[in-house]
Amino acid sequence: MEVENLANGKYEGKEAIVIIGAGPAGLSAAYDLVSCGIQPIVFEKSSTVGGISRTENRDGYYFDIGGHRFLSKIDYINRLWQKMLGENLLNVRRLSRIYYKGRFFNYPLVPSNALINLGPIESVLIVLSYLRAQLQFNTEDTTFEQWVSNRFGSRLYKTFFKTYTEKVWGIPCNQIRADWAAQRIKGLSLVAALSNAILRTQKARTLVDQFVYPLQGPGMMWRSFQQAIETGGGQIHFDSEVLEIGSENGRVVGVSFSKNGQPYDIPADHVISSMPINRLVRALHRITPSEVTDAADGLSYRSFLIVNLIVRRKELFKDQWIYVHSPEVLVGRIQNFKNWSAAMVPDPEMSSVGMEYFCNEGDEIWIMPDEQLIALATSELEKLGLAQGREVVNGFVVRQSQAYPVYDEGYKDNLQTIKHFLDGIQNLQTIGRNGMHRYNNMDHSMLTGIFAAKNILGEQHDVWNVNEDEEYLEEYREERAAAALSTEILETAFCRMDKLAFAVAVGAVSGLTVFIATLWLIIKGGEVVGPHLSLLSQYFAGYSVTVKGAFIAFSYTFFWGFLFAWLFAYLRNLLVAYYIYRTKRKAEMFSLNDLFDRL
Amino acid sequence: MKGEFQPKNEKVIVHGVLWLNSKFIGFALGLTCGLIIFITTNWLVIKGGDPVGPNLQLLSQYFIGYRVSFLGSIIGFIYGFAVGTLSGALIGWIYNSIAGFRVRLDGKSR
Ligand SMILES: Cc1cc2nc3c(=O)[nH]c(=O)nc-3n(C[C@H](O)[C@H](O)[C@H](O)COP(=O)(O)OP(=O)(O)OC[C@H]3O[C@@H](n4cnc5c(N)ncnc54)[C@H](O)[C@@H]3O)c2cc1C
Repeated sequence: MEVENLANGKYEGKEAIVIIGAGPAGLSAAYDLVSCGIQPIVFEKSSTVGGISRTENRDGYYFDIGGHRFLSKIDYINRLWQKMLGENLLNVRRLSRIYYKGRFFNYPLVPSNALINLGPIESVLIVLSYLRAQLQFNTEDTTFEQWVSNRFGSRLYKTFFKTYTEKVWGIPCNQIRADWAAQRIKGLSLVAALSNAILRTQKARTLVDQFVYPLQGPGMMWRSFQQAIETGGGQIHFDSEVLEIGSENGRVVGVSFSKNGQPYDIPADHVISSMPINRLVRALHRITPSEVTDAADGLSYRSFLIVNLIVRRKELFKDQWIYVHSPEVLVGRIQNFKNWSAAMVPDPEMSSVGMEYFCNEGDEIWIMPDEQLIALATSELEKLGLAQGREVVNGFVVRQSQAYPVYDEGYKDNLQTIKHFLDGIQNLQTIGRNGMHRYNNMDHSMLTGIFAAKNILGEQHDVWNVNEDEEYLEEYREERAAAALSTEILETAFCRMDKLAFAVAVGAVSGLTVFIATLWLIIKGGEVVGPHLSLLSQYFAGYSVTVKGAFIAFSYTFFWGFLFAWLFAYLRNLLVAYYIYRTKRKAEMFSLNDLFDRL
Repeated sequence: MKGEFQPKNEKVIVHGVLWLNSKFIGFALGLTCGLIIFITTNWLVIKGGDPVGPNLQLLSQYFIGYRVSFLGSIIGFIYGFAVGTLSGALIGWIYNSIAGFRVRLDGKSR
């Protein structure tokens, strides 16, 4: 349908459902509606589908905005992917290593491989620094730097954690707070770790070593969604940016958008938005209270640019991507698209690499002209020893603003303020990654879209409940298991026993028992009083079955009871403390396994 | 582990004091004592001999009505259970009182 007709409200009498954004979330919402016979209208400000998960094509070379693995534990999503692409979905065996000082290190780090690659001197220094860290208890864990160094030693931290983390987030690690690490590194909760250890639900969170990938990149998936939506009567309008959302009495009534520079207004009965939540707030500016606008302005994002280089070489390295830890280059990650799918490159004699630079919008690298960026990427590829500069035959640059929602100190409060405000608008739902300012992957972004569509159809789903961390179902199960054991039980099992109190209690009760036993025989009387009990004198010198003896027996048994109970409590506390320490360290080790994937 | 980001639950586990449940400890100790008497008595009954278990028989000095016989084992169980329960509960009570006093003294609270 032509935009002009839309603007005139010609929907053939049907409800107008507007979806903002044709990324995975928006497309999934539209597809779900179309599957139920409802035709939504999608506005997409760019000229293609897929959002951050799109695939660009330059001269027959396909490339992602950062490689996109299709990996989900949500059956529904997996089935949907299969349904859309079937045989065009490839199974890829993951290989992604760390590249540092000209060598490839296994990821997750394998001690033997790391130590061999680092050489004997560096290895010894790393082991010594690790051991020193193990011996230091009670250290402060305020920053990410301290957090990692305290566990793995400062040398290992500097080699494998510092540079990459700083490249990705653009701030020194000693300024990244440890609670940020806590969000990235699961298993930090001692309660969860203990629960999992007791219930034996914690498995090593090894990297998922296989994923699926469309033959010609993720864009192929989204084009397939586009086709299905359009075949079902839905509409996708490209180059159409939603600028304003009109509302009356707590309901959205229409949206204003611009297409090819022309402004349009259309009425809307429901709006599902996957545009960044801070922009959504601005689009509602007529009704937005100032504190909500301030909260939206308080949200921040990290951007990302990729320089795609075409290299005249058949094979560069075996990995799909490598993490570049070398501090002497700015590039953070390098994608080798040919290893994702051979069809990403038109000529088998050539390779195409995506040099990924993490940056902020407007900073030096972001505003650098494309030619300079291509020259920089080429020189860094050469510096790293991965290819010769002269082998690079072409290059393209793609800048992706708002690639990563930033979880900074204030983001939770800001998000809560915005959410509270949006909750008051009945027929508006916000979905997806930036739409919810969440670190959602494609599957979760899609699920939020599907839930929003189903809500319009009368179901009741809370899109905010789609768990961003549900990425690995095992982990999800672990959390559920952790919840199964109440903290109270854990406290009872793991709190420190008061040694003195226990020793006195056991000593007193043992003493009393022998004291009463002696007195009882005296009261009972007889010719020879307590001949058998008096044998105790073999151990308790001076004991006899007399009143005096009862006191002597009390002292002895109190002493021995006290001693044994104290020792028991001491050993019990020691073992429990060791168990807690080991369990926590193990959980942290597991969680660090995929830290770089989560950055 | 110290640090301002340590969750509250974790602080309780790391710095808190264990409290004993007197009822459970009493029950557990009672059951243990009762069963020990029950099993040892019946073991001697099964082994037989003349007389049967003269040393264990000495328990009857304290547990009136106890004998080394099957019926005696049940009586012994009841006595053992009662004494064990009382001792266990007493241990729990004394422990909690002293530990509570010390926590208050330290100004720590659970
Ligand atoms: C470097 C990187 C690597 C990633 N790797 C993976 C991976 O391996 N696996 C994985 O599952 N996920 C990965 N992700 C996450 C994945 O990209 C996102 O989860 C997914 O793209 C989010 O989909 P979305 O629809 O919510 O948002 P987006 O993809 O951001 O789509 C939103 C769409 O809305 C449009 N839009 C915005 N504002 C307006 C407006 N005002 N009017 C009209 N249209 C508008 C945008 O143009 C865009 O097309 C990665 C992300 C990044 C940054």
